[in-house]
Amino acid sequence: MPDDYLALRVEELLARVARDGRAPGSGSAAALTVAFAASLVSMVARCSQESWTDARGVVAQAKVIGERAAELANADGTAWEEALEALREAEAGSSSDDRRDFSLEQKLERAAAAPLEIATLGADAAALAALTAERSDGRYRADAAAAAALAAGGARAAAHLVLVNLGVRSDDPRLARALASEQVANDIAARLLDSGR
Amino acid sequence: MTRPEALSDAELVQRCRADDPAAWSELVERYSRYVYAIAVRGFRLSDEDAEDVFQDVFTRAFLRLETLRDDSAFRPWIAQLTRRRCIDFLATSARELPVEDPTTDEGSDDLGEVEEAFAVREALAGLSEACQEILDRFFAQDQSYRTISDELDIPTGTIASRIARCLSRLRDELEAKS
Repeated sequence: MPDDYLALRVEELLARVARDGRAPGSGSAAALTVAFAASLVSMVARCSQESWTDARGVVAQAKVIGERAAELANADGTAWEEALEALREAEAGSSSDDRRDFSLEQKLERAAAAPLEIATLGADAAALAALTAERSDGRYRADAAAAAALAAGGARAAAHLVLVNLGVRSDDPRLARALASEQVANDIAARLLDSGR
Repeated sequence: MTRPEALSDAELVQRCRADDPAAWSELVERYSRYVYAIAVRGFRLSDEDAEDVFQDVFTRAFLRLETLRDDSAFRPWIAQLTRRRCIDFLATSARELPVEDPTTDEGSDDLGEVEEAFAVREALAGLSEACQEILDRFFAQDQSYRTISDELDIPTGTIASRIARCLSRLRDELEAKS
């Protein structure tokens, strides 16, 4: 069972990601990237409270998005390790075992669920960054654009993980949702980054 | 008097609020398998762990029943509670840290949350239906902006600003009441 990644020092977390093929992996990294994006949005909104009446409401939303993303960093690590273990068992086992195959399928389903939620949260973080860029103190707009870029990166990585998951077929509606979230986040990030150049 | 088994969820919730123990027993009976299934089938918890989550969910549901805004939405509400407790359970298990006295902290957290929930619920009642709806969906039901947009037929790009405005109004209500 993976540790609570949020309780680790950043240095140790990075070392764990780099260490071997076990969790935390790309899904957890994507989730934490979205959490970073939400924290940046929160910072920009906090710094704009004097001129923006609803800034605290944005801080509250960013907090929720960041917390959900951070939870998913752990959840993804757990689901991924279980799926890897099931895959190893399947590879080592006999050619036909319905029970084992069903268990593998279930674990792959769970392994796809976390990235899908991460992609969704990435889209939400990007949308919140867009609102923040529009309404915040001008001095912090570059940070809002950077937040959108991070959110888009997290969403894109997560959508890719949904795409390559062995349990998800090309016509799976979950894949369509993940790709739609990626698109939303990318469009917002591109718009905010372009407007600042 | 109508037997509890024949009542709708909303009617049972209303009776629970009137301190009818038979109504609560019926709700537990009606949703025990459902909660257990989420823990075991949805989160792959062992029977023993699922039993712990089960007890915790129904305890919390009982304590927080006053925060359920739509009495007919007991099922999605308890499903949400169950999912959150399962995630907490997995996260706690993952930490592998010694817990010195979990019952003390948990108890005080619950009390604080109940008091807070009462205050927020009162303040929420002073907001428009639209505000109550959108806040409930984002904060209580964990819905994404896109889901809220689709279900309420509101442009996605306006969801975050609407929630922020509603929170400002909620804060005004809370400040006015305090």
